[in-house]
Amino acid sequence: MAKSLAAQLEEAAPPCAEASPSNYLLKDHPDENKWADCVHCGMCLESCPTYLETGKEQHSPRGRVHLIKSVAEGQISVNEQFADPVFQCLDCRACTTACPADVDVGGLIEEARGQVRQALPLKGWKGAVSGFFLKGLFPHPNRMQTVGSFLKLYQKSGLQSAVRKTGALKIMPPHLADMEAIMPEIKQPVQKKFKDYKFVPAEGQTKARVAMLTGCIMDVMFSDINESTINVLTHNGNDVEIPKKQTCCGALHVHAGDRDMGRKLAKQNIEAFEDDEKVVVNAAGCGCALKEYPELFKDDPVWKEKAEVFSEKVQDISKYLYDTGYEKPKSEINKKITYHDACHLAHGQGVRHEPRQLLNDIPGVEYTEMANSDTCCGSAGIYNITNPEMAGAVLDRKMEHVPEEVEMISMGNPGCMLQMAMGVQKHGRRSEIVHTVQLLDWAYQKDKKAMESTTGKG
Amino acid sequence: MSLFKSRRKKKTRRDVHIEQMAAIVGPDEILFEKEDLLSYDCDGFTVHKAMPKAVVFPKNTEEVAALVKYCAAHDLPFLARGAGTGLSGGAIPLNGEVIISLGKMKNLLHVDFENRQAVVQPGFVNLKLTNSISSKGYYYAPDPSSQYVCTIGGNVAENAGGAHCLKYGVTTNHILGLEVVLPNGEVIEISEDGIPDSPGYDLMGLLTGSEGTLGIVTKITVRILKNPEGKQTVLAYFDNVEDGSRAVSGIISAGIVPAALEMMDKTAIEGVEAGTFPVGHPKDIEALLLIEVDGIAAGIDEQIEQILEVCKSRNVREVKVAESEEERGKWWANRKTGFGAMGAISPDYLVQDGVIPRSRLPEVLQRITEISEESGLRIANIFHAGDGNLHPLILFDSRIPGETEKALEAGTACLKACADVGGSITGEHGVGIEKKEEMRFIFTDEELDAQTRIREVFNPEDLLNKGKLFPTPSRCMDIKTIVKDTVAVK
Repeated sequence: MAKSLAAQLEEAAPPCAEASPSNYLLKDHPDENKWADCVHCGMCLESCPTYLETGKEQHSPRGRVHLIKSVAEGQISVNEQFADPVFQCLDCRACTTACPADVDVGGLIEEARGQVRQALPLKGWKGAVSGFFLKGLFPHPNRMQTVGSFLKLYQKSGLQSAVRKTGALKIMPPHLADMEAIMPEIKQPVQKKFKDYKFVPAEGQTKARVAMLTGCIMDVMFSDINESTINVLTHNGNDVEIPKKQTCCGALHVHAGDRDMGRKLAKQNIEAFEDDEKVVVNAAGCGCALKEYPELFKDDPVWKEKAEVFSEKVQDISKYLYDTGYEKPKSEINKKITYHDACHLAHGQGVRHEPRQLLNDIPGVEYTEMANSDTCCGSAGIYNITNPEMAGAVLDRKMEHVPEEVEMISMGNPGCMLQMAMGVQKHGRRSEIVHTVQLLDWAYQKDKKAMESTTGKG
Repeated sequence: MSLFKSRRKKKTRRDVHIEQMAAIVGPDEILFEKEDLLSYDCDGFTVHKAMPKAVVFPKNTEEVAALVKYCAAHDLPFLARGAGTGLSGGAIPLNGEVIISLGKMKNLLHVDFENRQAVVQPGFVNLKLTNSISSKGYYYAPDPSSQYVCTIGGNVAENAGGAHCLKYGVTTNHILGLEVVLPNGEVIEISEDGIPDSPGYDLMGLLTGSEGTLGIVTKITVRILKNPEGKQTVLAYFDNVEDGSRAVSGIISAGIVPAALEMMDKTAIEGVEAGTFPVGHPKDIEALLLIEVDGIAAGIDEQIEQILEVCKSRNVREVKVAESEEERGKWWANRKTGFGAMGAISPDYLVQDGVIPRSRLPEVLQRITEISEESGLRIANIFHAGDGNLHPLILFDSRIPGETEKALEAGTACLKACADVGGSITGEHGVGIEKKEEMRFIFTDEELDAQTRIREVFNPEDLLNKGKLFPTPSRCMDIKTIVKDTVAVK
């Protein structure tokens, strides 16, 4: 009896055992209150693209939360094996929408990544490449513009077509070659174009004044979307200020686990927009990151408060227009259009209805809803560069849901636009990828032309 | 080719069993490192945790059979797992089992609208079946609240119920055929073409709800139903639980068989309103009823009138009929995510699953309130009132020493209260680890022994899901009692 009792006690040990000390040894570790909300019900499973792809629970939201908690309980340590599921996460936040208890899985993942990158810094060429982009390039608007100029030269000089013709792309990793193939035409960044403006004035009477985040990649790769944003804002009575001191939002840094750099950029942006009442953003990922700045300053009450004040001012362009009112265009855009919910707009900011309303207010638009419109396309910041295989699988799944007949796929995030463009190319579709605000701008431009021609005649 | 990808290549000493099983399923379809196994140390029942030896992901019946044969030949305990949403711990590897995950066998194999049946693999998600056939006007009736994620294989193992089982019956009423891998690796088909009522013993009935102790289901033929012509949903708020409970009995005794008749109490309402899908229920009501009637359109309005009458006669504060599909959907999302929403007001919960005669509802709910007061733990009630299937959710914080044990004790007391009024200890969640001791409340030793002998016919070595369903003195609470007793004797 004594022996079997001892054996039973040993068997029963885990649930009754006292929690071991935490294996998070560094500051800014995952917040216990975040995982305390998770009761392991599993309602998140089917929302998670990496779980659907792998069928393995360590790659599911509740599995990841369980692992993050297990480190705190001292069961495992911050090692490569822990890092894998934590970095395989797309950080798409679909689980946050599915979760009945609103567990902030995305926040936990980002905090855990911070621990991983402090404990296991990227070394060798991986560290160098990551450092080059995240530290050396994105935070520096001037350098970004220089890269933009080179890319422009690459396209304009005929080098691009030469490269494409000679098959030089074949020496690149396939997913990078795919990206080269869909590189948008580089134009002049708005930061440069409106360099000498204190603000871009509203057309007609000024109703409000807003500041705009131009973004790092957005302003180089998609400056035409930034221009459309300014056009649409000024057309609807907004003075648009473009603060010069602003920098990259830091989303990519926080996603990659570099929270210190994230904080540095956050502070710079908080100060750059200090005097503004409203900060309008046209990139879902950036908007979401700006709104989550307070998360970065959990241990710094002074900056936490500043970050809270700041994040209240941030709004996505579609939501800003919807809330403050916009002129419905009169000219028609006769296109069959569908809409893709960027994760950081739908799941991250709860903006779903507003962009759809915007599209439906454009005459001539034949709108078709996409099934599973709010599942991730696999872009997820630079995930498509770091995890190309998973990103490709997620993209294939996404493309299955894009209605065959659509001529345009509209969305509100530059990362998604590149990824979806790749999807369209890969799957032999013809749909054009557009930002929602571009469509509105084009309709307004048509209105203006129509007006000019009538007044011209008159 | 990848730029940054930090693929680990850890050279771990692999034991021979891992190598052999990897040869069956392929090297990428087996987990054996501690960090990877941790996600499988429990299911939806989190009080008990244990590490599996490995997790394997077979792609077809042959691989399942080969794995089972291997385990049987080498004395390795094993068990099957679906989505791991079970609430009684049926998929927890108590004995360091090899977990056979059916998550990769998730296809809809065939739909036969003419004969109203569908064939699915066990890992196929419950709600996906309805979603796949709804455009043709059909659906799959059993709807456990976890239907967004739980698998039909798991539903068969647990004989899962759901909100709409009041009218349509539980899983067992919708299963027409099974393919099963027996614990020795042999593959059998029960009622191959979905022909009902084959002669001989009802093996399908025996396997459905056997909680993974008799075999592993690898293919399932289910009944699909035509969507009801009409459907109406009512929400009723009450100022006291007793009035709500009486309204439940009143509706049933008026001769109405609602498709669903659900109840939530004040604490439960606090939880769902703090969760992700709030409806805006008043905070100060004591109980709400969610009632749905469906069927031929002609009779529905009349039934709704009757239901409104009954509610009014029971002093309902407010009662309304859903005005749109959107509103109806909101009410159901709020109800169906109710368990998980408890996370918003408590770090842990333990859900019980007692069944009682409907007429005893007020007194049992009163007893549960007393249990809550005695234990000092809050208890929320979300349940299928129409069929007397209670779900007391005991809220606790496992980080506070002693609270887990207190919650378990309160759970046992709730089940005792159900058994005392002639009820049962489980309606739909299964016995698993959680309620195996409580089996003694409703079965004598002889009855338990008889059931154990049935298990032995299928599972003589007891390698498949050992230590579940029937009592053994293995819970830590029991051991503590034993220790206390032993010390006292000394």
